Amino acid sequence: MAIAGKRRYTGGLVDVAAGQISREIFVSDEIYAEELERVFTRAWLFVGHESQIPKPGDYFVSGMGEESVILCRDREDRVHVFLNSCRHRGMKVCRYDEGNTPVFTCPYHGWSYATDGKLVGVPYFREAYHSKLDRSQFGLVEVAQLEIYKGTVWATWDPSAPSFLEYLGEFRRYLDLALDAWDGREGGTEVLGGVQKWLIPCNWKFPAENFSGDSYHNISHRSVDLVGIGPSGSGRRDMRERLIGRRLQICFPDRGHQTGAYVLPNEEPTPPAYQHSPVVSEYFRRCEEQRRERLGAWGRVTGAPGELFPNTALHPRQPRSIAVWHPRGAHRTEVWRWYLVDADAPPEVKDFLRQYYIRYSGPAGLTEQDDMENWNYAHAASRGTIARRHPYSYEQGLGFEVENYEWEGLRIPGTVMDVTDSKSSEHNLRNFYRRWAQFMDANSWDELATWRRRP
Amino acid sequence: MADQREAMAQLFLERDVENFLYHEAELLDERRYEEWLDLLADDVRYWMPMRRNVKLGELEREFTREGQDVNWFDEGKDTLERRVQQILTGVHWAEEPLSRICHMISNVQLLAVTPSVLEPADVTVKSRFLIYRNRVETETDILVGKREDGLRRVDGHWKISRRKVVLDQSVLLSKNLTFFF
Amino acid sequence: MINVRTLEPGTRVALTDGSTVEIVSNPKDGIWVFARYLSSPRDTSLVGTEEMVFAQDMVEIQTTP
Repeated sequence: MAIAGKRRYTGGLVDVAAGQISREIFVSDEIYAEELERVFTRAWLFVGHESQIPKPGDYFVSGMGEESVILCRDREDRVHVFLNSCRHRGMKVCRYDEGNTPVFTCPYHGWSYATDGKLVGVPYFREAYHSKLDRSQFGLVEVAQLEIYKGTVWATWDPSAPSFLEYLGEFRRYLDLALDAWDGREGGTEVLGGVQKWLIPCNWKFPAENFSGDSYHNISHRSVDLVGIGPSGSGRRDMRERLIGRRLQICFPDRGHQTGAYVLPNEEPTPPAYQHSPVVSEYFRRCEEQRRERLGAWGRVTGAPGELFPNTALHPRQPRSIAVWHPRGAHRTEVWRWYLVDADAPPEVKDFLRQYYIRYSGPAGLTEQDDMENWNYAHAASRGTIARRHPYSYEQGLGFEVENYEWEGLRIPGTVMDVTDSKSSEHNLRNFYRRWAQFMDANSWDELATWRRRP
Repeated sequence: MADQREAMAQLFLERDVENFLYHEAELLDERRYEEWLDLLADDVRYWMPMRRNVKLGELEREFTREGQDVNWFDEGKDTLERRVQQILTGVHWAEEPLSRICHMISNVQLLAVTPSVLEPADVTVKSRFLIYRNRVETETDILVGKREDGLRRVDGHWKISRRKVVLDQSVLLSKNLTFFF
Repeated sequence: MINVRTLEPGTRVALTDGSTVEIVSNPKDGIWVFARYLSSPRDTSLVGTEEMVFAQDMVEIQTTP
């Protein structure tokens, strides 16, 4: 889909080479309107999880960008994502969050749609329309492409976007860290009941960059580290990996996805965790063992927070979750967070994790609470005329990225920054904004799918 | 005479429970968190479900389930104590500087008393809350809803043995929940 | 006025055009029901067919199951 016209966003606002990014891209209402069009109508977005709609007629109302969409399963068991807006006068055809239904009926004038999106009910079709309305032209607006990947449902409005797997590229291996069972079996995760939804007063890119790999902000979580909520009773997480392995930041410049990861040494087992509960601790010990057997050297890789461009955050471990940063105007974001567990884990393990997840993440989570405070007031203090003149600094580690990174016989896909000794870098953050700027600049997917042009 | 004695005991109990809830609110609003923790039984359950918009006839799906689903809160005393400790570190930036919080408690109703109003050992009490939070400069939240508490008589004093908090919002309109309901 | 949300399958309803239909299933949206035509003075070919019937077209409940 080609997009052109006069623009508020200009290339100089994101200077990745110099590590400087203008505050305008966070606080300008005009740039926000442009990114809704150029980023959110063209990228692949996370919509939900198949386990939320197991039966025909099941639906879950989700969002893509600012827009409400319905994720549903039709009578033939096919999964769809529709714009939640009547074709006649725009009213939401579903104002419930979830349920099961044979039809979505608009309460305004009564147009009614089947779960496959077809317009099946038009009041006074014979009388008022003289049976002339072509109902086949007025089904619910459906996404251009939909992909179910290991239970997760993704969609894009852009028919010219590459397939989801091509959009992922090699980042797929890191997404798998969140979606595969802990013992390395493919898929094998489900979402816990209840999606947390809350509003935060900041631009959506603050949380997106944070999850891209802001390894510098640990200091802001000092209070939770002091009181200790980790699965073994101290700190925030059980992360003894960091004492024996390499701590990496990994990104894919042509795709815009990025993540943290830990790589453990060869021959070294994953350190014990979850030691508050013998059952849980034993479950993970056994999973880790099987994971090494099943995945070989790749089993040494442990996930850390990441961001799938543009607005899906991954927490592959501790606490395992997927978050979406729904834009709600330049100055507000609605966060939706789904929590994942191994589907066949014993109930005691699921329950232990559920309790840990909600004391860590979400608006009541002892960790995430402080993030929201930072994003809120960083945004607020960047809106002023003077403030906008001073770009943010993203210079950590500029020029120290490594291609074909390898450690103890394991090659790591992606462009890698080893931060074991340097403690931190803004490598992944630059990558996020590099891709964001490409989306803002490019007029078509031909320009964005740069990997296709390689010899 | 027995009826009158019971009616008097009922009145006294209602006032006693109301006073307890007001005292609790006072401790929270005056930031006397450690004294507030002393009002909680060691085995307290503190639960605040999330809410969904569901069709009439499917209202059993409105609330997330205690002990099974993701909730806003679903915890015991250990986590509540850590929340207090976190605020008192002075580096919990979401509550540093401290918010100004006011709990308005009303519509106090005794739902159940065991074994009897004459010798109440456990009561179930429902109330409404309006919590006003103002922090830093102009940031303001107003949260309104219902509570259902279990109170237990321990050594002549009430202790909160369970609290269910029903917030009248589906999407949480506050950026975080750093305070107590 | 009929609250169509509460109509059970098997209920027979008279419509504004003089037709009679029997409820087959009810999506409980309060606006439509799926129904089979038992008679139709307007168009006899409708008899036996299943249609979505609009709440405003329903006049009277004739029999309940």
